[in-house]
Amino acid sequence: MNGARKIRIESLGAYLPGKVLTMEELLSSCRRRPPWDLERITGIRERRVAVGEYAIDLAVQAADRALALSRHGAADLDAVICASISKHNGEDEFHLEPAGAGRIAAAIGAHGARSFDVVNACAGMMTGIHVLRGLIRAGEARCGMVVAGEHNLPVTRTAARELRHRFDGQMAALTLGDGGAAVILDAAPAPAGGFHHMELVTGARHDHYCYSRPSRRGAGGILVTRAHGLQRKGNEHFPAYLKEILDRTGWTLEDVDHIIPHQVSVRGIENSARAVERYLGSPLPPVVRISADLYANTSTTSHFLALHRFILDGTIRSGDNLLFVSGASGIVISHATYTFDDLPGRYRTMWGKEGRP
Amino acid sequence: MKRRVRIAGIGASHPGFRILRRGSLARAVQAGRRCLADARRRPADVGLLIHAGVTRDHHVCEPANAAYIQHRLGINVEFHGARTLSFDLGNGGCGMLDAAHILCTLLQEGNVRAGMVTASEGNADWRGKGKPPCPDSGAAVLLELSPRPGTGFGSFAFHTCSEHADMATTVVSLAEPRGRLLTRRDPGLEGRWLEMAGPVVDDALRRDGLNRDQVGRVIPAQISPGFLARLPGAIGIPAGRVCDFSADLPDTLSTSVFLALEREWRLRPPAAGQAILLLAFGSGLTAAAATYHA
Repeated sequence: MNGARKIRIESLGAYLPGKVLTMEELLSSCRRRPPWDLERITGIRERRVAVGEYAIDLAVQAADRALALSRHGAADLDAVICASISKHNGEDEFHLEPAGAGRIAAAIGAHGARSFDVVNACAGMMTGIHVLRGLIRAGEARCGMVVAGEHNLPVTRTAARELRHRFDGQMAALTLGDGGAAVILDAAPAPAGGFHHMELVTGARHDHYCYSRPSRRGAGGILVTRAHGLQRKGNEHFPAYLKEILDRTGWTLEDVDHIIPHQVSVRGIENSARAVERYLGSPLPPVVRISADLYANTSTTSHFLALHRFILDGTIRSGDNLLFVSGASGIVISHATYTFDDLPGRYRTMWGKEGRP
Repeated sequence: MKRRVRIAGIGASHPGFRILRRGSLARAVQAGRRCLADARRRPADVGLLIHAGVTRDHHVCEPANAAYIQHRLGINVEFHGARTLSFDLGNGGCGMLDAAHILCTLLQEGNVRAGMVTASEGNADWRGKGKPPCPDSGAAVLLELSPRPGTGFGSFAFHTCSEHADMATTVVSLAEPRGRLLTRRDPGLEGRWLEMAGPVVDDALRRDGLNRDQVGRVIPAQISPGFLARLPGAIGIPAGRVCDFSADLPDTLSTSVFLALEREWRLRPPAAGQAILLLAFGSGLTAAAATYHA
């Protein structure tokens, strides 16, 4: 697809709720406190949690911020795609329909936009970008938004209530955090910038490693993860895809300024980096950007909250080359190579003074 | 000029009396198998799978239901060899047309050679205590680039009227163990959909350069007998050209349009060149229309 039009991230919006919940506070709230030192094992010190806000509110906040930075107005958006997993849009409510995208489009004033939801676990926003990229390339949309709001606190609270033993499958729910992210995509004006390649694949034989559903023991939803198996299976396969997409882009690792992984946990990312090093037979340059220590695993939004953090602190700059890496339950493996235009500079100018949105 | 995308196969799991509970996943898989057989394709040929159902067995929200369907259909389930991406798309009763449109754009881009859209519904509540939004059903279509010019999907149109979004909602209440399905449909819902029907048909026909006289058959979602009786007047197409199976085919939410299409094509195979208009209505509120050239 080298001859196809390139699509860029024209604007980025991130929203982090104000309340900080440390790992120690969360562990103290568990009915049976796990014996593990989860902060050391995961590298997650704290996360943001939404109180009095639901998933849809987090998404709308992020969408508003993306529009504030964008050259496009809400009326220009031809499509709004919502990729949230956690559709907790009311107390003890999980919304199946109408699509969250329609409510977000209405809230931001994108009344002419076509709207629908895309759900693909933690690869949801990457999948939404893949879909919107197809619509823009096909001329079915000029610009559009992919947005997600993840309110994972209800699932974390269920785990804190229900954890029974040290190997409980709900342990991974203690690594989740809340946040919202939105990107506005349009056709890249210059061929040097934008998405070069995207590759998403589902290895459905491994669909049993992670699932989320209502609890059978009480109120609330649960997330059950066989974390070791998920990581082992992912590490077995994703380095080959990573190498393949670099080759297709014509890059080597030296060309990559930043690797933005799905922020599953600090140790999980370090483990995956070692798997890449084993596969390539050479050490990775110090370009893996990790934000899980402060934001934890914010599901679909994690790549874009990492962008927010590392653009604001000046690590990511205009013209930099990025490699997005994602693993999600399913198992879905996704990679994308991307070159920034002037967005990092514009983002810092707009949000740098405020610090954390 | 872009090559059109055709329906290479269609499969259905019609609602009906079942002694054993089937569930949403089993319905999608049954429809998917029939679809592959109808298209005479192997599972490995499917490069993209999009599932557009609303309800899910045990109210599982992760991973994508499409991954479970891909696994059960044996579609490139490992990472080596041929590859498949699968994901869910949610837009209530219009989800299958949304997914078909997305798949058309990705096929025309050359991203995949063939793809499948599935949808299915089932009452996922423990012991069926919740009121299901519709009976169990499943539908699947296999899409690929058409070998003949002129055959395939012509245009798609989607209209949303968000100020009435609360007229149709489906929520899983997590206040009790295993969750409970809560469905709400406002009595004025069908009237609103009928108001949206005319403009969305205008839009789809205009995009495809068709007028109403050129439409051979209209395949609408089988919302209700009353709705289908009023639909011809709302869209300005004679009732004789609007398929009405509502006497024995109830509204099945996301699967409704393609269940009706499968039945229509089984009873009356389309003449070559016939223009077909597909019409779906869903929460949001959204109305969707697509033209298809047989």
